[in-house]
Amino acid sequence: MKSFDRGILSSYDLKKGKVKAAYAIMNLLIIAMMCCMVYPILISLFNGLKLNTEVNSFPPTFLPKEWHFENYAKAWNYIDLPFYFKNTMLLFAGNMVVTILVLGLASYALSKMNMPFKSGIQYYFLMTLFIPATTYMIPNFINLKDLGLMGSFAAVWLPAGANAFFLLLLKTFMDGIHMEIFESARIDGASELRCFFQIAFPLSIPIFATLSIFVFATAWNDWFWPSFILSQENKPLSAAIRDFVLNARRLDLNIRFAILSIVMVPPVIIFLFFQKFILRGLYLGGVKG
Amino acid sequence: MEQTTAVPMNGQHQPKTRQGTQRTGKYKRYLWGYLFLLPAVITFTLFLWLPIFKGVLNSFYIVDFVKGNSFAGFDNYKTIFADRDVMTAVKNTLYYMGLALAIGFWVPILIAIAISEMRRFQGFARVAAYLPYVVPFVVLYGVWRWLYDPVGPINAVLKAVGIGGISFMVDRNWSMISIVIMETWQSFGSAMLIYLAAVLSVPRDWYEAAEIDGAGIWSRIRHITLPAIKGQILLLLMLQLIATSQGFQTQFAMLDGGPNNATLTYALLIVKYAFVRLDYGVASALGVLMFLALSILAIFQYRINNRGGIGQ
Repeated sequence: MKSFDRGILSSYDLKKGKVKAAYAIMNLLIIAMMCCMVYPILISLFNGLKLNTEVNSFPPTFLPKEWHFENYAKAWNYIDLPFYFKNTMLLFAGNMVVTILVLGLASYALSKMNMPFKSGIQYYFLMTLFIPATTYMIPNFINLKDLGLMGSFAAVWLPAGANAFFLLLLKTFMDGIHMEIFESARIDGASELRCFFQIAFPLSIPIFATLSIFVFATAWNDWFWPSFILSQENKPLSAAIRDFVLNARRLDLNIRFAILSIVMVPPVIIFLFFQKFILRGLYLGGVKG
Repeated sequence: MEQTTAVPMNGQHQPKTRQGTQRTGKYKRYLWGYLFLLPAVITFTLFLWLPIFKGVLNSFYIVDFVKGNSFAGFDNYKTIFADRDVMTAVKNTLYYMGLALAIGFWVPILIAIAISEMRRFQGFARVAAYLPYVVPFVVLYGVWRWLYDPVGPINAVLKAVGIGGISFMVDRNWSMISIVIMETWQSFGSAMLIYLAAVLSVPRDWYEAAEIDGAGIWSRIRHITLPAIKGQILLLLMLQLIATSQGFQTQFAMLDGGPNNATLTYALLIVKYAFVRLDYGVASALGVLMFLALSILAIFQYRINNRGGIGQ
């Protein structure tokens, strides 16, 4: 980062007593904000290490009085976490493959090939952006049932190819690749398939990586839709947590927090590790919110 | 002169065949293009347009998986207008949208401007603000249920300050507010980063010039910073309205629309009609009505998008 010469405030402003005091208060407020952000995350990690009686005590303690690491072992065995983790990863992998093949090929065709009715087809895809998903949520459910996909992974995998937002991001990115590369490849006799897999796809790795963050976040987070359309043995981690942990009647709070922490830690670590990359990708798809 | 006439004369035979191969090559390329588009056309048709179309159709039918559908005319719509829960749900949704604006909308703008002024540790503040966004929803629900507990940490702090215990979840005056506060905690970071990028891209000389002309700090913010991020503010406002108008997952997971329908949003009512009352026809009709109301919002969003508010 470049050196900070001035912002809204100049160094001259900061020499004034009043401004200096206000600036200090502002910094304190930001520190308070950061604590508010981090506190719920840390407390769930620590609550997972306490005795159940300590979690239920009032006022709550922050650090555990005694460290009970065996809670995490109990939490690990409470439900079959690796099994549901495997399902989540299968959903992620399948969605990614469908995104690359279906949306990648389509955006390549829209961006780098010419054919009659191209813009009409593009509108056919992009018009779906204007119809809020909640309004056809129930028909969508009935539709999956009618198609006989209900319960299987295909009910999540195949619709992953119908994502106009991802298509738009991919096409915009591919518009930035120079046409000359493809023209010279075609003159050298490369087929269109080869142009896609050996030129367009490798050059679009950055945007596919960004999409993979979104796809991963959806696979890891989404509990509502999967819990209705996937059968019991295909449920992903978050749907299982909702069914067996959040709605469990007889489950000690400390074990509950240990399970929640186990589910929370992987995305947090991935984020902290790839933080620069993820935040950069976020601007690309920033609109998604 | 000679040369220009010579060219067509010379190769009267050749260009014809070349043109011929070129044309078949073109058609072949068209064919490849359509082949590349085909999977996407199929998935968009099967998984987006077909359900959308079926939704409109089903809203005039009684949907029965066993006996088959039967035509019902406008009965489903009549049911909706006779149901008092629908009015409650519409009111709750508007209340939820309003609360999300009042509590959540200005927070990222304010914090983005504050963080942009930090001389050190800006990166830390940025990461900390975004961190809750990567916490999975199910974990969020579990942790905040405990934070909001009558004997949880928030009430402990309130008690230390001298305010009596608030039952955030059970009290129907507090339940929607509690949900909005929780969602703001989780998601303001992503909006904040978009504002922050915009605030940081304001040229520093503008502030310099304004300061020399005697503009105070507030007028610098009001007349330089805020106008510079106006595009982002409008865009995120539209996106937030569209998102909150459809919100139901938090209300469903945390309180199941309770206490006493206080958090029953319109989208949650759709879910309940479908999966609790098993009345898919009415649920589809509710969706159609919602679409009609939201399309007005969507048109606005399209206008703002087209003005180029996105990638700056």
